[in-house]
Amino acid sequence: MAQVPVAPSPDQAGDRNGENVQNYNIVNNIETGYRYRTVGGSIEEYRSTVNFADGIRLLGSSLIVNSKNGHGLLFDHITLSTQGLGNDPYESAVLRVEKTRIYRYDMTWRLNDYVNPGLVTGGGNGQHLLDTQYRMQDHDLTLFPQSNLKFFIGFSTTSQTGLAYSSIQLFNDAGNSFPLISDVRRVWREYRLGNEFRVFGIRVHWMHGWEDFKDDTGATLATSGVPGAVLLPSVPGVSLNSFQASNPNHGTDPYWRGGIFTDRKVFHMNGRFTYSGGRSAFVTDESAQGIASSLTRVQNVVAVGDADRPVATGNVNLIFTPGSKLTVTNSTSLYNVRALGNSYFTQFDSATQTTSVLFYNYLGVRTIANDTNLNYQVSPLWGFMAGVHYSGRLISSQEQFTFAGSTSATPAQQSNQLRSGDVGVRIKPWKPLSVLLSAEIGTNSHPFAPISDGDYHALSARIQYRAKTFRFAAAANSIYNATSVSLSSYGSQARTYSVTGNWSPRDWFTVDAGFNRAHTYTIGGIAYFLNQELVPDQSSLYLSNINSIYLGIRYEIRRRVDLYAGYSRVQDLGDGRTTAAAGIGSAPALFQAVQTFPMVFQSPMARLSVKINSKLRWNLGYQYYGYRQDFNTLLGYRANTGYTSFSFSF
Amino acid sequence: MPFMVRSGLLLTILCGSAFLARGEADRFVSNDACKTCHPVIWNSFYKNPHFKSVAFGKEPPESTGCQGCHGPGGNHLDNHGGKSTIVAFSTLPAERVLDACLRCHSQTLSRANIRSSQHTLNGMACTSCHSIHRARSVRALLQKPQTALCEECHTDVRVQFAMPFKHRVEEGVMSCTDCHNPHGTFAPTWRMASRPRLVEEVMANEEPCLKCHTDKRGPFVFEHAAVRVDGCEACHAPHGSPNSRLLLRPVVFTVCLECHNGAGNFGRRGTGIPIQTSTHNMADPRYQNCTACHVRIHGSNTDSNFLR
Repeated sequence: MAQVPVAPSPDQAGDRNGENVQNYNIVNNIETGYRYRTVGGSIEEYRSTVNFADGIRLLGSSLIVNSKNGHGLLFDHITLSTQGLGNDPYESAVLRVEKTRIYRYDMTWRLNDYVNPGLVTGGGNGQHLLDTQYRMQDHDLTLFPQSNLKFFIGFSTTSQTGLAYSSIQLFNDAGNSFPLISDVRRVWREYRLGNEFRVFGIRVHWMHGWEDFKDDTGATLATSGVPGAVLLPSVPGVSLNSFQASNPNHGTDPYWRGGIFTDRKVFHMNGRFTYSGGRSAFVTDESAQGIASSLTRVQNVVAVGDADRPVATGNVNLIFTPGSKLTVTNSTSLYNVRALGNSYFTQFDSATQTTSVLFYNYLGVRTIANDTNLNYQVSPLWGFMAGVHYSGRLISSQEQFTFAGSTSATPAQQSNQLRSGDVGVRIKPWKPLSVLLSAEIGTNSHPFAPISDGDYHALSARIQYRAKTFRFAAAANSIYNATSVSLSSYGSQARTYSVTGNWSPRDWFTVDAGFNRAHTYTIGGIAYFLNQELVPDQSSLYLSNINSIYLGIRYEIRRRVDLYAGYSRVQDLGDGRTTAAAGIGSAPALFQAVQTFPMVFQSPMARLSVKINSKLRWNLGYQYYGYRQDFNTLLGYRANTGYTSFSFSF
Repeated sequence: MPFMVRSGLLLTILCGSAFLARGEADRFVSNDACKTCHPVIWNSFYKNPHFKSVAFGKEPPESTGCQGCHGPGGNHLDNHGGKSTIVAFSTLPAERVLDACLRCHSQTLSRANIRSSQHTLNGMACTSCHSIHRARSVRALLQKPQTALCEECHTDVRVQFAMPFKHRVEEGVMSCTDCHNPHGTFAPTWRMASRPRLVEEVMANEEPCLKCHTDKRGPFVFEHAAVRVDGCEACHAPHGSPNSRLLLRPVVFTVCLECHNGAGNFGRRGTGIPIQTSTHNMADPRYQNCTACHVRIHGSNTDSNFLR
């Protein structure tokens, strides 16, 4: 199972109690060092899953400053922690500065180096490569945070920049798919302002936000001519010599959020209302020049339009606690989403001449839901909970286009209801031992998609023993879903079993281990075309048997040397076959090959941390990543990563 | 003396005696008394966020310092300690822990749903995750780093983060609370409202995925209805997956074909989700990567088939 990367080291230098400087206490630690990696096999697959690289890093740092009497001049408390600065693929900095009763400022900055080389894991020949960076920032300033009158001011931004590789299919349905290259430029910003106050014992919260989004990513032809063999097989006689597209899409989404809430002895109530009015405007300008059927083809596409999506929600929750043992809650929620837009699409084509179509599209979803839950602690030994849930949903749709003066519209409306109930029992026969059993059953009168929840039930059991130095837990869950219709059916079974435990007999020795088995089996009805012949009433099977284990042992020698060894392994055994062929049923080989996906992903690691003196530690670590797909060995990799670093405190 | 007056006097004396007796038994004492026996806790308590009320110096004793949470310490002092003479959280049932903490911590909208959250319904108390005196994280006073703490119970999720394709939670660039609110949430604005649970809406009322994946948010003229109606989980496993792009299947064409099979009364028109056209020859590898042509699969402004 999952384990954290080998670096940064969790062992910190310096005195845990920190040092006193004037009226402040300071605890700090900085870890800097060199990270290395060597990769054999598919470097693209490695970059999309692990992505650690060589170089000097500020692997981690933390700074905590506290005013000793709570009366600092400008601040009473500072917390700053960073990770991976200096070119790690996953970097972050988190800051809090606080002056009691005056202000609190929170900042989070993050960078995620995002790489995905292929669309599909099994084939690995998709064209959609992304080598981009997400940068996210959140800034929140709260004024008078401990008072009954607070103010909130905030700013957030997310940007995505970098290289993208995409495709376009020209000049008709039988045309080629040509590779495109893009410089991704997407920015989202949010400004928010709010306030919270108390009146007649009721707290009132409101916030107004302004969001802006712009995507100025364009695309140009990556390779002139016929697509290469590494991409999709090409159609003879269709080539593309030039292509240029710009698709600026700018939007705004102002929102309001209001809430009232109380927390009283017997009766609590809270409510919330939100409204967001998303709106975007776009232009598409695309020109292509190539050859099809031995004729030069020129195609220009221009589209303009706008889209709106107002979303309104309302929630009312009532909580009744007549005694310390009983809680009854009732939640009613409503949300209404309307997505609508116009697109005026014009295509100038040297072969088919000019085509203009005005599209109008509308999708509305209105849902009303009501949940009632009861929670009763019968005695210290046991308690139970039960709930009933109802959701009613109305989906309205209109797809309309105007072409050559005539209008065609396809309006539709449907409603569905989901009813479900759940019960659970908590047993605590002994203080360190707890047992949880729960079950849920539900039925949906009209699932939206064949894979949506239809008639489902879920069972869950969990047992935990938790003593001072030893913890053991075991859990079993199962979810069965069946969505049947006349021509086709969908069913899924998912079962998960897990056992975990950790043992810390001394503060210098810890063992942490676990095993999990996840079984998934689904069958879905499909229909497709083979050589223009419809092949109906077929089944798509998917079977997964994932076993995963982890083990971590930490051993500290004389409070000077800290050793850690860990191992994580995830293996999907699939359905037991060793090759993609010879699957289940009589489906074509294409479908049999993807009925299961056996693979192994494992990662042993070891770390040594030595305390040199009271303010300095030396760290050394190694982590191996091994990934193997049984049906496509070209996409496996073996990566040796490691680091050495010094942790110091000043 | 009339009977009513005598009764009234008697009742007053009884109530007064009871009040006085209670006040004597439950008297508040100085914080100095606490630090005499608990010096380790007190000496570092200025690092604790709860020290704010002590530093302010104007809060009544029931709202500040040790006795703000542990109740009056008079009995505890008189009896030279003991868990039975004071509010000891390790001995309290979950609902009483919740009551004690919410006396102060109910004052924010993000915790408005804590009493109806799945965690509370399953018998968890604040102290199941938070440790006031032995916290490993400064900001939220968690018993362990957040990811490790959540994964201790949610072992099935921990497995998903061990998959080759996953959100970078173990790597530290994300945390569980980027998408979830463990204190309870309002009903989600996607799917059927009762599920998923504890998933926090962002940007007023949107699925949390969209805060980072802003290009999938729209609004679009042509929304892929499944995204808007059933949410991102219709095609993706949000925590982690053996499959690239967190897809539910190893290849994209089975993800698409399991819905686009024309069967039943599914889809936005209620007449079955449209099947592919006859030009799509599945024997031809060009048609086995659906999104090679349908590049704007999350939503498009110019093409109802998401081709551009």
